[in-house]
Amino acid sequence: MSYKCSRCKRDVELDEYGGVRCPYCGHRVLLKERAPDVKEVSVN
Amino acid sequence: MMIPVRCFTCGNVIGEHWEEFKARAREGEEDPAEVLDELGVDRHCCRRMMVSHTDLVDVVSPYQ
Amino acid sequence: MADDFDVEVVTRDDRSARLLVRGLTPAVANGLRRTMLSEVPTFSIDTVRFVENSSVMFDEMVGLRLGLVPLTTPLDDYEVGESATLALDVEGPATAYSGDIETSDDLVQPADENVPIIELKEGQRLEFEADAVLDTGKEHAKHQGGVAVGYRHLQRVTVVGDADEFDEEEPNILRGVIETEDGELVHTEEFDADLTNRHPGKELEIEDVPSAFVFHIESDGSLSVDELTLRAVQSLRDRADELAEKVAV
Repeated sequence: MSYKCSRCKRDVELDEYGGVRCPYCGHRVLLKERAPDVKEVSVN
Repeated sequence: MMIPVRCFTCGNVIGEHWEEFKARAREGEEDPAEVLDELGVDRHCCRRMMVSHTDLVDVVSPYQ
Repeated sequence: MADDFDVEVVTRDDRSARLLVRGLTPAVANGLRRTMLSEVPTFSIDTVRFVENSSVMFDEMVGLRLGLVPLTTPLDDYEVGESATLALDVEGPATAYSGDIETSDDLVQPADENVPIIELKEGQRLEFEADAVLDTGKEHAKHQGGVAVGYRHLQRVTVVGDADEFDEEEPNILRGVIETEDGELVHTEEFDADLTNRHPGKELEIEDVPSAFVFHIESDGSLSVDELTLRAVQSLRDRADELAEKVAV
């Protein structure tokens, strides 16, 4: 899963050992990026 | 957020007139009632859509 | 139903009209009103495929707004259920307007061009492809071609004499279209809906004209008022014929 650090704006890959933390700046708030595929929405 | 496309009550398209209304009555000095009359927004349900609306895009845009 | 209806146009332009119809029962008048709302199909965006949406609104919110944008509807070329493709690509800083939507068929266009869809800031982008489907208002209100369609009785106003000199001068508010003594049709807006402006100091008698209805018809731009009305009448007639046929032994 790819996340983005909310402080340094760098892409972060999370693994099961590191915990939720940006490896570059140590910030604990990560944002999940929108998936790149086309999303179909039905209007009703 | 953004001006609704249609009036909630009657379904008339009001989004069409928003930018002109904003330019003339909000940022300009004209009387909102006269501007709405000229734009052909006659019913009070449609008029309240314009009068009571606030653009919030500028408020929320830093949080994306 | 044997008699023909007598139709008079009070006011008319492309998007709104007032029609006086005589010889109608309330049931037929209401049937016509309902048909205009629920049986005349129009195009409306039904499915949106978002390629990119980095705006401040969710896909569903943008989708909902798109569904409400009226699209011009060439009813002769399409059947209910058929669709047309639309697309939009706007990059901020800019506002995406309904007029920016490109369509696969030139006859299916946004009826209004200045409806703001979403304001985009620097670096934000909205790109999607959408399918507009032809369907009826019965299926979803966004497919309604008529807006604020309604009717009132035609009212006849007659002057019966002078008002009593010491009567209180109260406003006499009346809405809709009135018929004067010499058969002229006047909309009450012309005298600010107050009969005392038109006949000051007179005693008036107001009565509903039997089986005469004044329709107020407004279109959202997807169809002209003429087409909306004619299609509704046609639909009503077709369904009445179908009923007659099925009931016949």
